[in-house]
Amino acid sequence: MNWGLLFESYVNVFTSAQVIGMTLLGALGGILLGAVPGMTATMGVALLIPFSFGMDLIPSIGLLLGIYCGGMYGGSISAILIHAPGTPSAAATLLDGYPMCQKGQAGKALSIAMFSSFCGGVLGALIMTFLSPLVAQMAMKFTSAEMLMLAFFGLSVIVSISGKSIAKGLISAFFGLLLATVGQDPTYGAKRFVFGFRPLLSGFSFIPTLIGLFAIAEVIAGVERIISGEEKQQKSEEKITNVLPDFTTIKRIWLNIISGGLIGTFIGAIPGAGGDIAVFVSYGFNKSASKHPELWGTGIPNGVAATESANNGCSGGAMIPLLSLGVPGDAVTAVLLGAFIMKGIQPGPMMYVNELPTVYRVFAALMLANLAMLIVGCAGVRFFAKIVSVEKKMLYPIILVVSLLGAFSINKSIFDVGVCVLFGVIGYLMNKFEFPLSPILLALILGPMCEQNFVRFVDVNNGNFWEILNRPIAVGFFLVSVATILFSIYNQRKINMREAKNRKKAENA
Amino acid sequence: MKKTQSKAFANLICSLFLLAFEIWTYIETTGFRIHKRAHVQPATFPQIMITGMFIFTVILFVQSLLKVIRGMNEFDPDNEMSASINPFKNRGVAAAFFVIVLCVLYTYLFDRLGYVLVSACISIIIMWLIGKRNFVMMILVSFLVPLIMWFIFYKLLTVNIPMGILQPLRDIVDKF
Repeated sequence: MNWGLLFESYVNVFTSAQVIGMTLLGALGGILLGAVPGMTATMGVALLIPFSFGMDLIPSIGLLLGIYCGGMYGGSISAILIHAPGTPSAAATLLDGYPMCQKGQAGKALSIAMFSSFCGGVLGALIMTFLSPLVAQMAMKFTSAEMLMLAFFGLSVIVSISGKSIAKGLISAFFGLLLATVGQDPTYGAKRFVFGFRPLLSGFSFIPTLIGLFAIAEVIAGVERIISGEEKQQKSEEKITNVLPDFTTIKRIWLNIISGGLIGTFIGAIPGAGGDIAVFVSYGFNKSASKHPELWGTGIPNGVAATESANNGCSGGAMIPLLSLGVPGDAVTAVLLGAFIMKGIQPGPMMYVNELPTVYRVFAALMLANLAMLIVGCAGVRFFAKIVSVEKKMLYPIILVVSLLGAFSINKSIFDVGVCVLFGVIGYLMNKFEFPLSPILLALILGPMCEQNFVRFVDVNNGNFWEILNRPIAVGFFLVSVATILFSIYNQRKINMREAKNRKKAENA
Repeated sequence: MKKTQSKAFANLICSLFLLAFEIWTYIETTGFRIHKRAHVQPATFPQIMITGMFIFTVILFVQSLLKVIRGMNEFDPDNEMSASINPFKNRGVAAAFFVIVLCVLYTYLFDRLGYVLVSACISIIIMWLIGKRNFVMMILVSFLVPLIMWFIFYKLLTVNIPMGILQPLRDIVDKF
């Protein structure tokens, strides 16, 4: 590590008005885009790439990284305020973020999300700076066996997010995995559950499904609650004196932030695995490690911190294979790879030899992007928190038309609007009968990864699945997954017993 | 409260529906194309998933059946009243179903009438349904929100959204 050059690169980036301006602009655009259900950071980066053509490399990378980091945080705003995750990786934030909002703590939830996103992002950027070659080497040892077991590990988290009934959670998960198989089979192109309906050939798009399950289902349930007289208008009586969390809250959540940031960075560094997986793994891990797992999902700051830090930790993690190996870690870094190539720089091992100052400036730009996200986020917290004060009778129709537009805009397809409505109905009915929705989402993310790697591994080993026992990392993942499942079952039993006791106590009192 | 109104009974009915769904999907998978040389057939993965779902549905079915037959203690969460989906007995459910019908109509008319008009109509109807009576505000919000969203998506994000009968609006925007 060339410390002098690293310091010089940081000074260059942090004193350039153009880089700072572009990064702030990117962060603002990213937060606004991320907050609209259906608009992802990937779309934001892809849309703004043409604007960066005329710029130098570092300001353009600053702009794109600003959108990336801002978009990651922006997704949590709508997840917390209106139960509609703006981006797939914000899907786990609503588990505790939305209940916090319902308790009248929208501002607090937003500031925790922003602070945790910043800390996770900084942690990811630091790990990227100091450990990128090492982490990249480890991540590149991942073949289909390890990816399969990583997917299995991700799925093991389902038990801890299942809620009161593990059976219902697992039914939801298998239902999600089954839904992920709709369309053409990825290996042989065979049609599955298509019923002669052509648009189904490519399966259910993820984002319309996500918007349907959460946003549309919430609108339908909200209308029912208003008519039944169960919904009361929330007035934001919360006074936001500090846009950042107070010291007591930070003391309570710092461990969740660090573990989330580390999980996010590690998962982000694995090509093909991104923030959407990392947030659930981090949520499950932190819930299992908590002394009071029964409080998770009821609106506690720890849940928001664990997911948001993992979410932004991924940004640093995903840059590791991009810079050190030339392999993008996720969709956004794939677009960034294009931006590098356009500027005549080929990321990869030789970049550390030939373009070391550029590598260090990219590290600094990522750090600056996280800082820009914090500054813009701080400026917006009070404004965003006011959204909950909008009259529900006006808010629900607005959520509906904005969400349906988001679903349409992904593929410009009416079919996706239909998918969104269909999953809205499914989500509404599942909520009614207390089937958790998050396992479906996790299964939809991990299902294709699980199947493709399973088929690839079995094919490569001539049908001998047990060959997987010769892959130590895969076996390690499997053992951790089994431990996670057992521990989550034990935790859930403890939660159920505690709740039964409390109910008895309340009844006797 | 009758046993048939409990959550345990609702779970029992749900599991029966799920079992029927799983049997139907499994039968569907038997019709998938078979590749002679493949180690893993296109039907294998869905069949594993259906089997997993089946196992946990049977567990839910047995749990619920035992609770319904043997009875539950008063602190059992499954002994609570189940949510209703009967639109004839619950006005809230009827309204929810009406919103679902509106959403289906929305999907059908999205391409024909265009995003702005169909969104404005659905917004006004839902606002009226849930008790908003300030018509000026209703009309203003219902038209302005989709219009602003269309403008952002069309002009800034270059996403082409159907405008239906309001197509001339796009031509006006394009001129400027």
